[in-house]
Amino acid sequence: MNTRSFLGFAGPSAAAMALLILLPLLGAAWLSVHESYVKTELKEVRTTVPLFGGLTREDVRTIPQPVRDEAGNPVLVWHFVGAGNYANLVDLDRLRKAFAGDGLEQIYRDVVSIEFWGALEFSLLYILATTPGVLLLGFAIALAVDATSKRVRGALIFASLLPFIITPVVGALSIYWLFLDNAVVNAVLQALGFGKFYFLSGALPIRALIVLYGIWHVTPFAFVVLYAGLQTLPQDAMEAAIVDGATTWQRLRYVVVPHLAPLFAFVTLIHVMDAYRVFEPVLVFGSNLYANSLQYMTYHILNSEDNYTKAAAASLLTVAGIVILLIPMLRRFAREGRAA
Amino acid sequence: MKPAGSSLLATGRRGLLLLWVLAAAFPFAWMALISVRSPVDAFAQPPMLLAPVTFDHFYQIWVVDQFWRQAVNSTIVTIGTVSISLSIGCLAAYGLARYRGRLGRWLLMVALVFRAMPHVVLLTAYKPAFFQLGLWNRYETLIVVLVAINQPFTIWMLRSFFVNIPVELDEAALVDGCTRLQAFRRVIMPVMWPGVITAGLFSFLLAYNDYLISSQLMNGDHMTMTAALSNYMNSNDDAVKLLHGIAGAVSVCIPLIFLILFFQRQIVAGLVQGAVKG
Repeated sequence: MNTRSFLGFAGPSAAAMALLILLPLLGAAWLSVHESYVKTELKEVRTTVPLFGGLTREDVRTIPQPVRDEAGNPVLVWHFVGAGNYANLVDLDRLRKAFAGDGLEQIYRDVVSIEFWGALEFSLLYILATTPGVLLLGFAIALAVDATSKRVRGALIFASLLPFIITPVVGALSIYWLFLDNAVVNAVLQALGFGKFYFLSGALPIRALIVLYGIWHVTPFAFVVLYAGLQTLPQDAMEAAIVDGATTWQRLRYVVVPHLAPLFAFVTLIHVMDAYRVFEPVLVFGSNLYANSLQYMTYHILNSEDNYTKAAAASLLTVAGIVILLIPMLRRFAREGRAA
Repeated sequence: MKPAGSSLLATGRRGLLLLWVLAAAFPFAWMALISVRSPVDAFAQPPMLLAPVTFDHFYQIWVVDQFWRQAVNSTIVTIGTVSISLSIGCLAAYGLARYRGRLGRWLLMVALVFRAMPHVVLLTAYKPAFFQLGLWNRYETLIVVLVAINQPFTIWMLRSFFVNIPVELDEAALVDGCTRLQAFRRVIMPVMWPGVITAGLFSFLLAYNDYLISSQLMNGDHMTMTAALSNYMNSNDDAVKLLHGIAGAVSVCIPLIFLILFFQRQIVAGLVQGAVKG
């Protein structure tokens, strides 16, 4: 295919992405180095103040008032602030103070008490805690399903897909509702004599629940991909291993896992990309009181603080993070392209 | 001879599967179970397995709270997104699968970065821009935005399907005097349906499941079902309102359950597709 017809085919899609992804990204970059305020002007306001005996006095005062355009909306003035919004977001002052503190633990605690660093901390914690869980559980389920009879596999796969396919907000809510103070999990715990546990009123249990939700939500994906990989396992290698007297564990370690290695890498890559922008469980479980994530923080700044420029700075820092995470992948892709 | 300990292994395997199926399905099953109960039965101590069935909460949310409006909005937005997304996605993916130049690789690489982009990043720019342009709270706006967000994923997936179609097929059509577009329409598309259905399913899921963008770009009468659930969040103190929310959440799940029932094979194929073909 020549370049001209390629441009014809890819044009609409590329235009959509350029207009609604690239342009907004540049817009956010522009916003992140600016600040806005409502333009005001000093207006002379004349009021007639009655004195005694029918006499009046004209009172002239100059009051600052917002300038309005034809539509009646206040006119905003934008001015360049350089890295001001970024400095505000990462809170350089508090950061400096935190590092003046003594003891590593104290420094760490002071740093993550700053909103941005706290959100970054939990986003990374979420990636680190969910990834091994997703891979191990997904692999174990794939092995187990692979060993069951064909009749029940369809039903098993159906049930397994539910947490992954059903709307994340609904999935997170369904878990959340199980752990309410008067809901089923607590009732069962009480019936078993463990007493009541307030899952939703402390940072630690809430963070644990969010991680649990993350593993529950993504395990089906790992399972399906690894299960498909198991179907392509080279039979002769397995038979050779059995003939050589390899135990189940050894076959797993030396034949199955190496065969699935690229799939483990694939699942990890996709999951890290998605986990980095975790949003729904934080919205449902944490608000930003107990757990925060980079995407939730930006949403919160945008929505509750109504601060576009600070939100734009947060966005740009988030994008910088994703680019760093993707660099190894992009380099591999570029290398393959040169080889082809 | 079976290796020793295989019966232990089999027991462990069954236990794991049982636990997993329970974990995967129980939250939804429980939600469905208590959505048809009176508040007293729903939060009874100890929890009841069986209780009188009532459809009050569904009546309340669908008829009194007019959830059907949101269902209509969700339908409009998802149908619009899926059809536009597939149309322009197929064209682009076919181009990417057949074009050998450097431009194609660049486009794919940029799309990969876009795919990883947190959606709130775009929202920071959309919010002031759409407000200025007066494009707020309109179906077209949300559809076009969701289409664009969907494109990176869609073109990657469709491309891997197109790559599997032999080049000889288009070449034969070109030799027979078809233009590129005719070859694409008459020869390639007819054999592409499995790929189109799979990509369509994932576009559907993205549009239907989206909360972040939909809840921000639409409000009032234009809200989608998923976004409207936020009205019922954080109402833990009010058991009746909480149950309305649960009934709404169950309603959102129902189409998805049918989707998995009918298209299980295609969903699995779609999830695996990315893994086998870079």
